[in-house]
Amino acid sequence: MTATQDRQEQGAVGRTRTINLIQAVTEAIAEEMERDNRVVLFGEDVGARGGVFMATAGLQERFGKHRVFDTPLSEASIVGAAVGMAVRGLRPIAEIQFADYMGPGFDQIISQAAKIRYRSAGQFTAPMVIRTPSGGGVKGGHHHSQSPESYYTHTPGLKVVMPSTPYDAKGLLKAALRGEDPVIYFEPKRLYRAAKGEVPDHDYVVKLGEAAIRREGDDLSLIGYGGVMPDLEKAADALAAEGVSVEVIDLRSLVPWDRDRVLTSVQKTGRAVLVSEAPRISNFMGEVAYVIQEQAFDSLTAPVGQVAGFDTPYPYVQDKVYLPGPNRIVAACVQALNY
Amino acid sequence: MIQPFTPEPIRYVAEDGTPVQPLPARFTPELLRELHGLMLQAREFDRKLITLLRQGRTTFYAQSSGMEATQVGLARSIRVGHDWVWPYYRDHTLGLAMGVPMFELISQCLGTNSDTCRGRQMPHHFAAQAQNFVSISSSIASQVPPAAGNAMAQKYLGVDEITVCTFGDGATSEGDWHAGLNMAGAAQAPALFVCENNQWAISTSIREQTASETIHIKAKAYGMPGYYVDGNDIVAVMEVMTAVAEGVRAGQGPALVECLTYRVGSHSNADADAEKHYRTREEVEEWLGRDPISRVEKLLEKLGHPVSAEERAEIIARTHREVDEQVLRAEATGQPDWRIIFEDVYADVPDHLRQQEAFLRAEQSGGPA
Repeated sequence: MTATQDRQEQGAVGRTRTINLIQAVTEAIAEEMERDNRVVLFGEDVGARGGVFMATAGLQERFGKHRVFDTPLSEASIVGAAVGMAVRGLRPIAEIQFADYMGPGFDQIISQAAKIRYRSAGQFTAPMVIRTPSGGGVKGGHHHSQSPESYYTHTPGLKVVMPSTPYDAKGLLKAALRGEDPVIYFEPKRLYRAAKGEVPDHDYVVKLGEAAIRREGDDLSLIGYGGVMPDLEKAADALAAEGVSVEVIDLRSLVPWDRDRVLTSVQKTGRAVLVSEAPRISNFMGEVAYVIQEQAFDSLTAPVGQVAGFDTPYPYVQDKVYLPGPNRIVAACVQALNY
Repeated sequence: MIQPFTPEPIRYVAEDGTPVQPLPARFTPELLRELHGLMLQAREFDRKLITLLRQGRTTFYAQSSGMEATQVGLARSIRVGHDWVWPYYRDHTLGLAMGVPMFELISQCLGTNSDTCRGRQMPHHFAAQAQNFVSISSSIASQVPPAAGNAMAQKYLGVDEITVCTFGDGATSEGDWHAGLNMAGAAQAPALFVCENNQWAISTSIREQTASETIHIKAKAYGMPGYYVDGNDIVAVMEVMTAVAEGVRAGQGPALVECLTYRVGSHSNADADAEKHYRTREEVEEWLGRDPISRVEKLLEKLGHPVSAEERAEIIARTHREVDEQVLRAEATGQPDWRIIFEDVYADVPDHLRQQEAFLRAEQSGGPA
């Protein structure tokens, strides 16, 4: 199933506009605030400043200070307050300025947001969205470039999302806000303005847990999510020029993730290369690799390949070397193809 | 005897340079000129680094213009290289005044081979071992509990050092801040906590940050004295800070000093048009009228030892020249290569990192990846 088919399936027909990923985020928030007055937005600098990346620009002006407001500089307070608001019936969107800064809020995320439904047997729930820019490639050094998604995919009770296109950014954020669970919504900051694409004028959602097939192919399944997706496309182009037919899959959401679409693809191609910029140890893609070998072992004609970040803190100067680029992805594919 | 918990900030010199209480004897014209020179140098350093930013030779810079008296005053109140400092990310003026070589500061901002931190952190995040100036972190207030621990170790070791921990007003909202002050208070550790209250945490004003009237009164909750100082009056900063630091050193337990100041520039290059978004030009103008550098110039004039236009121009020219020289010198050392990715992760390089390093070596040399 292709991305175009995805859209048709969701009824995305009619007029479209081309926007970038950060505009998609802003539009999703604005439209959901318009639709549902339980939605409130807060965090550091989200109000008059419009967020450090301007993702929330104009929203305070439009919806007022009671719905869009700046908070004290305290991630524990931001996340913890969001949990309380959600329990009491609001639909909070908490912005954490950088994913690297979620540390002080970590206890609130894993102990409160993720667990409250389970420990109260559904008497209390915390449907909320924590939005946060994530990933490298913007010369940010380790406190502005990390990819901490695996900390959260490891925590039952949380949903974890990372879009790579404006269409998905908007549709996934809307779906997250209409859902009943806490969602960690990572925004690949290097794609904020780099990723441009069409979105329909009318309302739509992208369901969490469905991968998108960005291109179909027969020889190898190349699977990634978030900021690395343009590199997967470049690698697939390079391999296509050599006569290799690559199927490119964007997971879009990690918890839940689309086992079926991944397995169907690998059963067809017999080879899989998994790409993520997070450090390798306990990388979420390790789970994907495990499921592939468990469920599609007989289909495999080569070991599952993995391209990841190094197991080091994210460097400032050599960040382009740190990130898995198209060349490293191509090399991993060639290794699988030549096995 | 400096009084804690004063309702108004302690000051010695008014905005127009008039002493509002007798100047302590040590503030001779010579010392005041020296402090003036340091502050002016720091401001010009800011100006030059912003130029480098505009030229694309560095990618981030957080000015401390307007806050020179707080940082220079603090630097001159402690024993440099003996006491330990856990700074925050707007403290390069503190570093300069503590004698961190300009070459090191610039090398870090440019991420060159001469960066003592090996290009690991984003610009403006120094560490300087010779000055016990511990590595700056971007994570707000995360240095506060470690600073408390540093001070506890000093107490345990029985040394006469103190630990200085600086932060902005925004940091006082973080859980880490409260945890750190509480710990230091409970341990009666020799920690001097310094709030450089510049009144804006990026775009969040102090009034939105806390319902507390001031920051220094929070010290009460942690069992330590809180001092309130005009952070744009270098005489007041040095007088209070020196007395408080020596009290901390003498075993009186930790203390908090709030220096009321103002960042006249933007938070960083990320919000260069601050006035458009979150604060008024009038507010900035009002604080420019309380400028720490011109205040000392006016004081010196009243004392009959004015800084001449030529002297001023000479300090500015010398700073610009020195920055230019150190930039060229730093850039000539080149950029750290890919190996810096793997070094210093652990004390000993584990096998999985060796394998990844070998992979990258092959890739970088064009061999089989």
